[in-house]
Amino acid sequence: MPEVTPVNEIFWEGTALGELRLRRCRACDHRFRFVSSWCPACWSDDLDWVRASGRGKVSAMTVVHMAPYESMAQRVPYVLALIELDEGLVMMSNVVDVPCEQVVIGMPVEVTFEPRDGLQLPQFRPRAD
Amino acid sequence: MVAGVAIAASYEVPPSRFPEVRPHNLYRQVAHAALSEWGLKPGDINGLLAVPSGQGINEIDIYTHEKLGSELGITPAFAETLNAGGASFAIMVGRAASAIRDGLADSILCIGTGKFTKPAEGGAGNMARMISEPDFEIGYGPFIPALYALIASRFMAESGVGPADLARVAVSARQWALRNPRALMHRKGAISVEDVLQSRMISTPLHYLDCSVPCDGGGAILVTTDEKARQLTRQPAYLLGYGEAHSHGSISAAGERLVQTLATRTGADAFKRAGLSPADMDMAMLYDAFSFTPLLLLENLGFAPAGQSAAMVQSGAIDPGGSLPVNTNGGLLSFGHTGESSGMSVIVEGVRQIMAQAGENQLDRARTALVHCYGGMMYEHATLILGRSR
Repeated sequence: MPEVTPVNEIFWEGTALGELRLRRCRACDHRFRFVSSWCPACWSDDLDWVRASGRGKVSAMTVVHMAPYESMAQRVPYVLALIELDEGLVMMSNVVDVPCEQVVIGMPVEVTFEPRDGLQLPQFRPRAD
Repeated sequence: MVAGVAIAASYEVPPSRFPEVRPHNLYRQVAHAALSEWGLKPGDINGLLAVPSGQGINEIDIYTHEKLGSELGITPAFAETLNAGGASFAIMVGRAASAIRDGLADSILCIGTGKFTKPAEGGAGNMARMISEPDFEIGYGPFIPALYALIASRFMAESGVGPADLARVAVSARQWALRNPRALMHRKGAISVEDVLQSRMISTPLHYLDCSVPCDGGGAILVTTDEKARQLTRQPAYLLGYGEAHSHGSISAAGERLVQTLATRTGADAFKRAGLSPADMDMAMLYDAFSFTPLLLLENLGFAPAGQSAAMVQSGAIDPGGSLPVNTNGGLLSFGHTGESSGMSVIVEGVRQIMAQAGENQLDRARTALVHCYGGMMYEHATLILGRSR
């Protein structure tokens, strides 16, 4: 499971409040995920954060049929996907609340949160519009 | 042009399972057998490149070159344990070429061994942790076939490639393996597109027979100067072109390179240095951890226009007797995926074909070969162009 670290704690504080947050660089306005403590575009460490819309679309997806390890044994089949957020960033997620075979590339999705080991893990589900 | 550098010898253990052999012992065996077969003495080697042993079984040793160098009784002026995943061995050839040009060494042993745990024995979790972001990916159940399946899904959506086209690549790989006694699947018989599509689903669109065969193995090549190579062999494999590029470290960060991989750049760089084009290649070795990767690489490397790789493969072009033989040893799909040494098997086959040492699966026409390897989930790439003449 994910670990809360100084680099990503603002992200996990956000998910606890039902928010999906992105890093924003104050120097160049670049948006990125909470994976480094400097801006990958300009190397500034003057960083802020913004709340993402939580909306996006499936850009790549697979239905996993073989459980790779014990923690996923009860979950197969599950959808592993890359989600392209409306803000242009890509993040990994499962696609939940929908039969696996209905998930397709291009499907509009929105964020939801799954309690897991004391954290709120972002997940994505289909959205109507 | 990569001036003055050639591969003068190759050696390979046929892929198998060696559960009782510790990773470093496998290194000792491969090194000793290779140097004996090549007829070399300790003073003949002044450079050594190895990959960390034990990656596939989570017993990683990053000091492999120190131990092996000491055991071989050599004090090389150029030695390193390097790792770029599956791209490691193509990158070794690039590093060796640079060292030769810089005058650091002129007879460099490049060596690798690999062991591959079965996914069900904990290997999937180990590898998933190694190649995933710990905080933003691992909770979603990634593992290697599923990560490749993500790339495949996007590639198929963009290129019009379908499951039967993927299966056709696995069929071709098996055809080659049936001609190669060293291939792990040599005696397993031919497979059909239907066999692949009927095999159990691992992670859509990848069926069991779309996946490479995990096994153990190892190999070595000798990288040296043109002059020394000609003293050692009648037909060296000359290094005509080289390209290398690295980008992301996790699939979430791939962006447009998910499908337009850095093979587009390394291929173009290698062809430019060689002064050659895809049409000049007699064969290609395309790292095939899964059946879709040769299709994607045929497009990225310029052998097929975007969206045309499926038609090319369905026409039989990459099969025995085809216009561009691909993975003539059976590939990782049917020769075997020798753990972290897999990239070495890809290079060794290209070298054997150029040196006319490929035995029963020797091509009639192998004057030039493109060898392409990548590491991670296609995160970093290296391309070699080898030829029979300068």
